[in-house]
Parts: sequence; C-alpha cells; structure tokens
Amino acid sequence: MNAALARAPWARVSRGTRSRIAVIAWCLAALAFAAAARARHFPHAADRVLLDACGPLVLPLLSYALAGAVVGGRSFSSAVAPLKAFGASPARAAVAALAVAIACCASLGALLGAAADVISQGTAVHSLALRDGAASAYACALGGAAYAAWFVLGATFGRRGGGRLAFLLADWVLGANVTAAALVTPRGHLRNILGGAPPMELSERGSAIALVAIALLCSAIATWRVRR
Amino acid sequence: MIALEGVAARQSPMSLSNLSLGWGPGLHAIVGGLADGGPLLLALVAGWARPRAGTLRVLDGDPRHHDVRRQIAWVSLQAALPQGLRVAEVLATAARLRGEASPPAEERLAVLGVESLARRRVETLSAGEERAVALAEAVTSTKVRVLLIEEPFAVLDARAIGRLPSVLRERADAGHAVVVATGSPRDAADIADDAVTLVRGAVGPTGGGDPSSRGLTQGARLRIVTPDPHALSAALARETSVEAIARRETLVTARGRDAVELARGAARAIAESGADVVEVRLQPAPPDDGRAVAGPEERPL
Repeated sequence: MNAALARAPWARVSRGTRSRIAVIAWCLAALAFAAAARARHFPHAADRVLLDACGPLVLPLLSYALAGAVVGGRSFSSAVAPLKAFGASPARAAVAALAVAIACCASLGALLGAAADVISQGTAVHSLALRDGAASAYACALGGAAYAAWFVLGATFGRRGGGRLAFLLADWVLGANVTAAALVTPRGHLRNILGGAPPMELSERGSAIALVAIALLCSAIATWRVRR
Repeated sequence: MIALEGVAARQSPMSLSNLSLGWGPGLHAIVGGLADGGPLLLALVAGWARPRAGTLRVLDGDPRHHDVRRQIAWVSLQAALPQGLRVAEVLATAARLRGEASPPAEERLAVLGVESLARRRVETLSAGEERAVALAEAVTSTKVRVLLIEEPFAVLDARAIGRLPSVLRERADAGHAVVVATGSPRDAADIADDAVTLVRGAVGPTGGGDPSSRGLTQGARLRIVTPDPHALSAALARETSVEAIARRETLVTARGRDAVELARGAARAIAESGADVVEVRLQPAPPDDGRAVAGPEERPL
C-alpha cells in the first residue's frame, strides 16, 4: 500500500525532465565550486565551499526543485487528490509523498556535501578528508531533509502551491542572520552545523536537533493541512 | 446504498439545503446546473465534502471513511490522474489502493475503447482522454459499488462516449448504484432509470421520476482560449447548438441552450478548424444570459 502511494511522487521526481535538469545543474554547480576552491588553493577550502555555496545556495535550491517535482509543480493537496480518489487515505498519501521528498533531498544532500568536501580538500590527507566528508554528508543530509519538509509545507499554501516560493524567500531572509528569527528556518541551523555562525549561540548539537524538529513539524503540519 | 436525511452543505458557488434522498442499485440522474448543486451533492456522497447539517450514509457507513471511500468512484469534470505515471501504472496503482487484483490495463481500457492510451504518460493525455481513463478505472473496478459521474458525456474522449451508456447500464444491472449529475434532461432521460431535479440546492418541483419529463433549459457557456480565435469562431458559427459567440483577443465564448450539445458542437468546431486549444471551460449560463454573456463583440446567430 505504501509503495503504491509513493509510486506517483517518485515517478515525478525520477522521470520529470525539469527535476533532472535541476538536480544535474545544481550538483554540477556545487562540484564546480569545490573544484575551483581546490584549484586556487584556498585556505579551509572545504569550509568555504560548504558555507558559501552548498549550504546557503545549492542545497536549498536543489531541495526546492525536488520538492516541486514531488508535488508536480502544484499544491500539495492537488498532488495527493488523485490518490485520494482511488480510496487512499489523504494523510497516508501525504506521508508517502513527504517520505519521497525527504529521502531524495537527504540522500542527494549527503552525496553532494561529501563530494564537495572531498573534492575541495584534495587527496593530501585521505583519512582526514574521508572523516570530514562524512561529517559534511551528515550535515547536508539533515539540511536536505529539513528543507524538503519545509518546501512541501510551503506547497500547501496557495492554489498552485505558490507558498513554496514564499518559504524559500522566508528562509533566505529570516535565516540570513543570527537572531531568534533564524531559529525557525533550516538555513540558520544548517549554517551552524557546517561550522558557521550559530543562531542565538545555539550549539551544533542543538541545531542538528532543530533541523530534525523542523522536518518533523513541517511534515506534521503539511499532513494535517492536506487531511483537513 | 446512499441515504441523505436533511443534508445541508455549502461550497461556493453551490449550496444544498435540507436534502433528503435515497438511492439503491440502479442508474440515477441529478438534473441541474452547477449552481444548483449537483456536483456538490456528488462530492458529498464521495466523501470529498462535509455536510453542515443532516446525516449522510453511503454503503452503511461514512463516505469519508477509508473503507467506504475505496468502494466509491467519483469522476468529476476535472478528473485528475496522478501525474508522472503511465496510464497502465495508474490503473495498477488504483487497483492496489482499492485492494483488488489488477488485470492488464489494455483489457480495462478496452471497455471504453481507449486501450491505445495504456502506454501514454498522464501529462500527455488530453482532458477528454484523462477523463476516459478515470471512467475506465471506475467502471472496471471490482471493488467500486457506488459510481458518481459529473456530466458523463462532456469533456470525454470521442471513443468512450458511444460505449459509456451500455457500460453504465451493465454496472447498474450488476447491483451497483450509478449516479450521474447532468445539466441535460435529455441525457438523463437517455441513460437513467430515474432523476431528481435540483433547483438552487433543493429538490425541484418536478421531484423524482421519469427524467424525460424535465423541462429544464439551463443553458451553458463555453469559454475557449485559443491562439487562433478567428478560425474557431467561424467553425463554431456553423454549429446549430451555438446560439451566440463572443470573441475577445484569444478568448472565444460560446453560448448554447444545452451544455452537452454545446460541448459536442465545440469539439466538432475545434477539430474542424484545427485550432490549438489552450483551455476549455464549461460554465452554466446566468439566467439572463442573453445580456450577461454579451460582450461588445457578441454576435447572436
């Protein structure tokens, strides 16, 4: 039953031309940033790539594109409605779509974070590069998961899911600083666990928990809104 | 199978008030325009809308309950299939969700003569083809016991139109409740055993009984967006079901007395003119439609 519910959102992600182009373009952009940082021998090249390119730019936009593909560029309710017409529970259909979005964004985020880290550091110290790569993968996976739920929740607003764009802008505006407003966005917490400025002096562990909480809370609200 | 007692509901622009009806196995019609509440009544029975007052039972349960809803098929005018899938995959997914075995897609689609759509992606289907697939899924499902169809002959693939009445009759004879909502009393008379006329959300003065006795002349308005409005207007002007045409930039509005005839005439005109169509929308005409539809360029025929 759950596999049947996830089939349509997964097909939209895996077969959609726009989602494929977005994934390839943003992955190439991240890898290009990493390669450029390595070629110019920047000090702390991996940190700069993750903090200046992957975290604030590539991961949010990649997640935005993937979440858009999961909902088919429409509102989340419209994306779930056809399955409801076949007798599926709207809540379960919503959870399945959210699971697809979170899994795609988290796994691609992890791969991207690890690849960008390893490429920008070079191969000088293998064990260190692998350890840092794993840490970056973990941070970007958490960020990707939070962003996926964040954007799917955005897609529950507006007749055509236009709230997704509003959530992207809100993340950019509110998450850019270190004030309390950044606590409610994935951006501030992702920056913190990637080694950047923490929102409200929150610890990295606290931000990691906050990202999980954002993912869970946004998923719950999105499911509730679809069910309603 | 379907019982409404004092049901009231509202979903702009439709409302229903103090509606008490009962439908068992058979083919039933609701005659009335959009504003009279037929589609809202179907949405209530399908469990997609919530009554404000009264009680509604479908298959001895709440239609919003999962186990009841999987036995109900509702094919609205804007029937939507899950995007991203091929038609065969849609039918397999639907069978899985309804909890039934899934015969080959071609076999199910052949019931309405649209088996050639099996390999197509949903995004590539026209609105009429998408609706034909939704109808094929509904009429071939072994779990569905209540079938609700809005305007059965409008926005429907031409291959399916001819086969649909006999297919619905088979379902009704097999003990299922088939309810169609239509603005055309003639369609209701052609296919249904009985009909209820809705007038502004209440059962009309003619009540139930033989649908051919309805004197409903609801009227309809068809809005078509096309990059080639001149050719389409010329073709529409040759259709007898079109009473007036208005044209404004890429929007062509046609008015007719019978919604289904108007839709059929427009389909012929579109095919004949070869005009690309961006959007088609069928609406009930306001009571004083002669003036309401009339724009500066309207040309009565």
